[in-house]
Amino acid sequence: MGVSIVPTLRVLKPAALIGVVGLVGMFAGYWANATFFPGTTPVQPINFSHRIHAGDFEIPCQYCHTQARRSISAGVPSVNKCVGCHNEVATDRPEIRKLMNYWVNKDPIPWIKVHDLPDFVYFPHKRHVQANIECQSCHGPVQTMDVVTRIAPLQMGWCRDCHLENEVQHGQDCLTCHK
Amino acid sequence: MANIERRDFLKLVGAGGIGAGAGFMLSESTKHPLEYLVPYAVPPEEFSSGIATWYNSVCSMCSAGCGITVRTREGRAKKIEGNPAHPVSQGAVCALGQAGLQALYNPDRLTGPLVQNAERGSAGFVKTTWDEALGRVGETLSALKAAGQGDRICLLTEGVGGHLAELFERFMAELGADRLLHYEFAHPQTLYAANQRLFGETRLPYYDLQNADYVISFGADYLSTWISPVHHSLGFGRSRHARPDARGYFVQVEPRMSVSGAAADEWLAAAPGTEGLFALAIARHLVEKRYRGADRDAWAAALDRYTPASVAEAVDLPAARIERVAQKFAASKASLAIGGGTACSHTNAVATLVAVNALNYLVGNLGKPGGVVFNPEPAVGRDTQARHATYRAMRELADAARAGKIDVLIVNNTNPLFTLPDAAEFAAALQEIPLIVSLSSFPDETTAMADVILPSHTYLESWGDHSPEPGVGFPVGAVSQPVVSPLYNTRATGDIVLALARQVGLDEALPWPSMEDYLRDSWRTIHAQVSGGTEGFDTFWRDILRAGVWGEDTGRDHASVSVSRNVIASIDVGEPEFAGAEETYPFVLYPYESNALRDGRGANLPWLQELPDAMTSIVYGSWIELNPQTAAQLGVKEGDVLDVESPYGKIAAPVYVYPAIRPDVIAIPIGQGHTEYGRYARNRGVNPIRILAPQMEPETGALAWSATRVKLTRTGRHVELVKTGGESRELGRDIVQIASSTPAQGEARSVALQSTRLRSIPITVEPT
Repeated sequence: MGVSIVPTLRVLKPAALIGVVGLVGMFAGYWANATFFPGTTPVQPINFSHRIHAGDFEIPCQYCHTQARRSISAGVPSVNKCVGCHNEVATDRPEIRKLMNYWVNKDPIPWIKVHDLPDFVYFPHKRHVQANIECQSCHGPVQTMDVVTRIAPLQMGWCRDCHLENEVQHGQDCLTCHK
Repeated sequence: MANIERRDFLKLVGAGGIGAGAGFMLSESTKHPLEYLVPYAVPPEEFSSGIATWYNSVCSMCSAGCGITVRTREGRAKKIEGNPAHPVSQGAVCALGQAGLQALYNPDRLTGPLVQNAERGSAGFVKTTWDEALGRVGETLSALKAAGQGDRICLLTEGVGGHLAELFERFMAELGADRLLHYEFAHPQTLYAANQRLFGETRLPYYDLQNADYVISFGADYLSTWISPVHHSLGFGRSRHARPDARGYFVQVEPRMSVSGAAADEWLAAAPGTEGLFALAIARHLVEKRYRGADRDAWAAALDRYTPASVAEAVDLPAARIERVAQKFAASKASLAIGGGTACSHTNAVATLVAVNALNYLVGNLGKPGGVVFNPEPAVGRDTQARHATYRAMRELADAARAGKIDVLIVNNTNPLFTLPDAAEFAAALQEIPLIVSLSSFPDETTAMADVILPSHTYLESWGDHSPEPGVGFPVGAVSQPVVSPLYNTRATGDIVLALARQVGLDEALPWPSMEDYLRDSWRTIHAQVSGGTEGFDTFWRDILRAGVWGEDTGRDHASVSVSRNVIASIDVGEPEFAGAEETYPFVLYPYESNALRDGRGANLPWLQELPDAMTSIVYGSWIELNPQTAAQLGVKEGDVLDVESPYGKIAAPVYVYPAIRPDVIAIPIGQGHTEYGRYARNRGVNPIRILAPQMEPETGALAWSATRVKLTRTGRHVELVKTGGESRELGRDIVQIASSTPAQGEARSVALQSTRLRSIPITVEPT
């Protein structure tokens, strides 16, 4: 006994159409979010340009990120440090005025992390800096960025690839990074 | 498709919209959560992000005074370790010390000054300002001072040392007040008295465990709670393992096996209160076989009747066994006897401890390595023993309160409403005091009764100094410094006292603006004494802060001690008295300080709550330890809830069947059963102190907390004990590896011979 699927299709057709449209919408939404609101380029409280500082003026990275070679964290400069120069330099710019507002109130600047590793990853900057790894190899060409964006995926495979390539001692051990 | 219906169109639009929204959110959810990177506006001088700063300080979780070093990152305290340079802790620290971080970050801390607006003891505390709160207390103090009624002021503090103790003394002296009491539940009052009687020493001596060859501990759980457990543990380890040619032999005499009992080579369950008799039998043997001093005849006469055979029945151990312990004690090169803890908290405690100390005298270990070394004056502050309140003193305080003789009671971080047996009576007496001020950091039972709460910093936020008591045989001072900035609107205890002094108009007598200034000034005096000038104090001070400790091992004092003939003649341990008739109350209640919670002070720290008890592996809650034989008689098994009733009250707790306790004794740990003291402590377990009889050791007035008899009744209820250990017996799994050895020179036979009877207790069992 043959059963025709045509009646079923007739009922299903509008539902399928709704499903397809919904799915397309979903992809569009996903794409829109990923393109227009990328997590890799957060909007910072002050529109600080690495291009001007590290690019045009060629200020060395560790002039501001002083801890990179001796601490696990690179160290984001204190407001104090910014003001050290900007007391004199470019004091009339609106972004510098914002900075001075923070300074006058002795408020810290709530920068948003561009590169963030989960808490279960032990990543010491000092090891990498002392091994003469260029900052740019993980952070990208920061000296060309007006707004810092994350280039590296910061996923485990990516870490391991580099460890493998450079034949890092114990570079593939779990405990090297997860301790 | 061309002629789509309006309804269908709307459906499709809806579907597309929902899809887009879902897609957007899906993408959002895969993103890394927003994290901030917040720098300091102006970083502190020593700060570098990601690099820990370590500060040396002193632990104040108990009175042992261990040196600690605290790891801080980004201005937050992260970890406490022992300070390797400090002679007491030498790099080690106990569980209670580790948990100090949770005192600092405790969610139930008092965060600012409070006044009671409703009925006393109710939850009617309202926030106030420091000025107002200090003003209110200062006003009352000023009025009393002006009227010359300083004796109506009482300051009740936890046991403090160093310059804070001195500041208290000065403050009270300026007010014309003499009611200054240090109150600690487990303060070894009777040991002080015994040392005073036998040796004329007002300070506790140093017990040199690490060089001892044969140690008998009469009830002192020196590895977990007694006086200075961290230091004793180090000594124990070294005596056992650090000497190539010797291994210390440890004997523990106590009715219930403690951690020290488990670690010992022999555990002897003498009948409660007969530890002194046991000691005298050993003393008799010493006089007979070893002691050759000039007063030998006096000792011989006094001890003649204590033969092993004559005490055996009372002590409830075979005479041969007593004899053998005595022989080994007399024959070892460095023998040491220590006593204390619950087993020495009977009505005859002082006499018992005199007997124990007599062993040290007779074996001739005074001032010798592996013996008893007397301590010099504390390096900072002064002796506070005279200020330590006994149970009797606390009752007198209650009497004075009841008679309306006290107008102000200032309580500093001590909690008598938890640690006194008749707390209800004491609380009623407190009601007669017009003004109660608490300086506690936590809302404990006593603080709940306060009218004004002036919360103090925790020790990790305040300045102070300390001389360990008992010392280590040479003068040691240690400065405790704040390792983090204060978390809340609290003040250091010293600062509160100084602020009160200003309120009362004592600016001239106590001119220091803060405790830190007072401390520096006091250390300036010490520096001047040491160096003979004022030059270079800043360097000296910085060096002390950096090292966390100051002192010099100048060699130990080897002064000889003679014991007066009167004392020798009066040696007699007497009979221990127990509250409750044996017929009605067949068991002796043995309350012991919990390894982690101690006298209850650790109950608000979750790390300690979840730390399995060392002997039973139970976490949270209380339990009753019963010998398997007793449990069988009562027909109860683990988890059955029993009523424990003494002539003074009743508590209920589940049974834990514990093979290492005498059948006529039941044990309950102290520490739980709080009615206040924060979310982790409140309404958990029971407090055995509640049902203790108000028995005292008659000479000192110290609470005889092992002198209560109880009866047990089944309630029919059953609970599951929360514990990490499964089965307490081996069941043939050979967990305790036993090597049999050939008996050499009358040495103990291996436990293997008896292992069928005592499968799970790794101790040496003697053929009897």
